[in-house]
Amino acid sequence: MGIEELAESLGQNILTTTLGKVVGWGRGNSVWPAQFGLACCAIEMIATATAGVDIARFGSEAFRASPRQSDLMIVSGRVSQKMAPVLRVVYDQMPEPKWVISMGACASTGGVFNNYALLQGVDKIVPVDVYIPGCPPRPEDLLNALMILQERIKAQGILPRQ
Amino acid sequence: MIAETLVVERGVSAGDAWVTIEPANVKSALQSLKNDGFRLLVFLTCVDHLVDTSRTWPARYELVYELRNMETKEQLRVRAFVDGDPPRIDSVHDIFPPANWEERETYDLFGVVFNGHPDLTRILMPDDWVGHPLRRDYPVGGEVVEFSEEHETWQTPPPDA
Amino acid sequence: MSTTAQGVTITKTGEQGAFGGELLTVNFGPHHPSTHGVLRLIVDLDGEQVRSVKPVIGYLHTGIEKQMEALRWQQGVVVTDRHDYLSPPINNLAYALAVEKLMGVEVPPRAQALRVIMSELTRLSSHLVWMGTSGLELGAMSMLMYCFRERDTILDMNEEISGFRMHTSYIRPGGVMADATPRFFEMLDDFTHTMPGHIDEYENLLTMNPIWRSRTIGIGRLSPEDAKVLGASGPMIRGSGIAWDLRKSMPYSGYENYDFEVAVSDDCDCYGRYLVRIKEMREAVKILRQALDRLPDGPVNVDDRKMLPPPREELETSMEAVIHHFKLFTEGYSVPPGDVYVAVESGRGENGCYVVSDGTHKPRRVHFRSASFVNLQALERMALNHMVADLIAIIGTADTVLGDVDR
Repeated sequence: MGIEELAESLGQNILTTTLGKVVGWGRGNSVWPAQFGLACCAIEMIATATAGVDIARFGSEAFRASPRQSDLMIVSGRVSQKMAPVLRVVYDQMPEPKWVISMGACASTGGVFNNYALLQGVDKIVPVDVYIPGCPPRPEDLLNALMILQERIKAQGILPRQ
Repeated sequence: MIAETLVVERGVSAGDAWVTIEPANVKSALQSLKNDGFRLLVFLTCVDHLVDTSRTWPARYELVYELRNMETKEQLRVRAFVDGDPPRIDSVHDIFPPANWEERETYDLFGVVFNGHPDLTRILMPDDWVGHPLRRDYPVGGEVVEFSEEHETWQTPPPDA
Repeated sequence: MSTTAQGVTITKTGEQGAFGGELLTVNFGPHHPSTHGVLRLIVDLDGEQVRSVKPVIGYLHTGIEKQMEALRWQQGVVVTDRHDYLSPPINNLAYALAVEKLMGVEVPPRAQALRVIMSELTRLSSHLVWMGTSGLELGAMSMLMYCFRERDTILDMNEEISGFRMHTSYIRPGGVMADATPRFFEMLDDFTHTMPGHIDEYENLLTMNPIWRSRTIGIGRLSPEDAKVLGASGPMIRGSGIAWDLRKSMPYSGYENYDFEVAVSDDCDCYGRYLVRIKEMREAVKILRQALDRLPDGPVNVDDRKMLPPPREELETSMEAVIHHFKLFTEGYSVPPGDVYVAVESGRGENGCYVVSDGTHKPRRVHFRSASFVNLQALERMALNHMVADLIAIIGTADTVLGDVDR
């Protein structure tokens, strides 16, 4: 976290904003998702990674299996009561800076299912940056969400997130 | 065919043949059906008749075993009504191996205890879950949908997991 | 609460292994790239050999059966799409056939043919996903790209006919959602001409490929007796030499009118199941061709106003039409009391729907007989004494969909 401490100690000035732009550009254009495919949305996420709707064009070339090597968690699918602690553990294992995209209606709000077995939205246990509606959303929707996230990352620069 | 002494009632529902047996005879009935050629247990599940007023049921929990004879393509549904807290019935996993996980699922979701099952633990819900979700007196859970017709009676806040 | 999340957690069990070491218990956690969804396996390893496999499921339990008790009959179709999420129309078909059997209605021939078309397209799409992900896990990464390219064509057809790519809810009790457009039939016509060429492409890449063969031949043996005893269905039992296919043995929805073969292989291993699925894909294209050529004209929905809404033009003139429309969209139709079980053949095996009705506008109980739930119990038998890397091949060959297992 050295760069963020440096930024805080220097404050907002021309040195940090230019550096921030460079770092934001770098971070935004190489977001590596962690594989967190749970249910049907996972199939559309795999389809986003295939040749027709290539997500690698946007920098997400490698869907890392290990959360320690990734910076984006795409929660694609319904999160059941048994899976929720697992999801939180995986989220905690990701190093900062990290982002979460909640893909699909089930991950965002519980979706079609309003019952005992599912978390009514993954934002009950992890902070979410972008929500994608749809059941399942089209692969292009996931790309759109990634692009929105990239704008946010570039705007954030090097200041640490609140 | 199943020995007539074991049959309590028989009938046909929408083209499916069924027989009712006493729960104590479930192992002998299923074994004799298996010897007759009904060698596939298609599924095993439970139905909870707590709030059904359309007819009088012999007991609250109805265990349903669907058997199939793969040579003659015949199917037979075997039903056993059990009551109790928890309801108990013999396990048939030694006669039909697929029943192993099906009985665990029925235990998990309905609370039916299968005597003689090697590993009767929860299979779908978390291990420390309290309650049996598919019973009719267990609420659907989830978030309360305000102003909906069911929100007071059916959808109540879920118990803490 | 069992919270070990992912990767490899090693605890020594202290038992002596055959190679002089101790048995290690390894956790293939629910978050794992190769477990086809959130399946957790607790594996006892003796060196590299698997001594026992214990699947732990429930990480995708969605309470679908409970949810359906809280929804009306026609609303339940939407939920049935989502348990076996690789073949949604086939799930719809099982539920629709069960409700129709209880109501005592039979859909017109055009609807049956459209149902067969959607089922076979779905079977193709499901096998394509299987082949793509299995290829990916065993190292043949380009299979993923090729298979999903064809799958995209099928999803475009789904979108043309129903507006949805995956969860179409197209097949409903009483018929289908709406008639197909001419453009759909053009796309289907093109598809039946180009798909056999693509299947040849996949076979060229995999069938005689020495790496694929060495990773699948002899792996995951399931003898015919074991397959029958364990209640396996679908490619799991047909890959062991038993020609049991519900479309031929207990036909439904007009399948008896189509001419196709049952794909069977005597190899009893992963390679045999791969050959079975390839053959099933070819037969599916054949059935699609026949269905398209012989598609009958006529209505696509049963003509029962108590079950399906009247056409909108009638609402302007007929009072009964308005009343039927009102009742159907507020309370929904009621199904006579009784219980019924209907099974259909999905990409995985026998997917069935057991419906219990008490005469009201909501189901009393809906239970889904899941092919993957029963097939997964065979995993313990198939994986004994194989290497850890083969375990991945075996999980892939079982083609389990965790949504179906956990419901």
